[in-house]
Amino acid sequence: MSEAQAEVMDRVVKILSPFAKNEAALASVGPDTGILDDLKVNSARLVDAVLSFEDEFDIEIADEDIDGVNTVGDAVRLIEAKIA
Amino acid sequence: MRSGSSKPRLPDAAARPDTLSRGERTRLALQREIGRLLAVVWAPVAVAVMHFGFGWRILDRERVRRRYREVRAGSDAPLIVCANHLTMLDSAVIASALGSPGWYLRHYSSLPWNMPEWRNFGSSRTRRVLVYLMKCVPVIRGGDRRAVARVLARIRHLASRGEVVLIFPEGGRSRSGRVDVGNAAHGVGRLVGSLPGCQVLCVYARGEGQTETTDVPARGERFRLRLSLIEPTSDARGVRRSLDLSRQIVGELGRLEREVLREAA
Repeated sequence: MSEAQAEVMDRVVKILSPFAKNEAALASVGPDTGILDDLKVNSARLVDAVLSFEDEFDIEIADEDIDGVNTVGDAVRLIEAKIA
Repeated sequence: MRSGSSKPRLPDAAARPDTLSRGERTRLALQREIGRLLAVVWAPVAVAVMHFGFGWRILDRERVRRRYREVRAGSDAPLIVCANHLTMLDSAVIASALGSPGWYLRHYSSLPWNMPEWRNFGSSRTRRVLVYLMKCVPVIRGGDRRAVARVLARIRHLASRGEVVLIFPEGGRSRSGRVDVGNAAHGVGRLVGSLPGCQVLCVYARGEGQTETTDVPARGERFRLRLSLIEPTSDARGVRRSLDLSRQIVGELGRLEREVLREAA
C-alpha cells in the first residue's frame, strides 16, 4: 500500500469508527475488513459515512458508486478513483 | 428444495446492479401472471383470514379506498407507496385497506409489490410460495450492496411499468413505535429519484392498540390510516440527493403520524 493509500485508509477508518459496532474488528481493521459484515456498520449509517467521505475528500459520490463498497478497501479505492 | 435452508432467489451480485437481463424481466412478468391467475383464490382467502381470523378492521375504509382509486386514476406516473412499519404484516394490512380483492383482480397493477426481509419469510417452502404469489421481491437488508441494488433495479423496473410498489422507508420496523425521522433508508430516495415524475403515496397505518413494535397486530385490532400524495424533489446530487428525497418521505410520514395520534387522543 502506497503512502497516499495509507493516508486515505486512515481517514476512511476514522470516519467509519463512530458507526462501527464491532470494536474488536475496528482494532484490527484492514483493506479486506467488511464494513457491514465485520465492523457491523448499519447500512443506513454507511450512507452517513459516505456523505462524510464526500465532505472529507471534497468529492461527489453517485448512488451506483456505493453498490460496490463492501470492504474498507473498496471505500479507499472508490475515493482514490474520485480524487485522482 | 430443502425447507429452511434454501437461499433466496436473489439477483446475481456479480451482475451489473442497475440493469435487468431479459431473463430477469421475464421471470418477474411470469411471477406477476402466476400470482394474478391465482389471486382469485389467494386474495379473498388472505382478506378472510385477516377479517375473520384475526378480526382486524380498517376504520373509515371506504374513504381510504376512494382516495387510492383517485390517486391511481389521476396519473400514469410511477407510484411508490411508502408506509410506516410497526409489524411484519403491515403490507398485508395496507393492501387490504387500499382495495378490495375484487377491485385488485380488475386492477392487478394496483396491488402493491413488496420487498419483505428474506429472513422473516424465507424459512419454509409454504412461506416462499406465498411470498412468490403475493407480488414480493425478497431482500436481505444490510446484505451485499450489489445484491441490494439489484433488488432495487427489479423494483424500479416494475414501477416504471405501472406496477405499484410498497416500501418501508425507515428501512425496517420502528424500534420506538414511532416514525424515526432520522432513520431514512437511502434506497427509497434512490428509487424515487431514478423514476421521472414518480409520485409517492405516504401511508401511515396504526392499530388503535398498537403502542409499540410487534410481530403481528393484536386480534380485533382496528386500524386508522392517513394518506398523503407527494412528489419529493431535491437540488442535491448523488447519494445526498437520494437521502434528501428519503428524508422528505419519512418526514411526511412523521407529519401523518402526528395527525393520527392527535385524532386518536
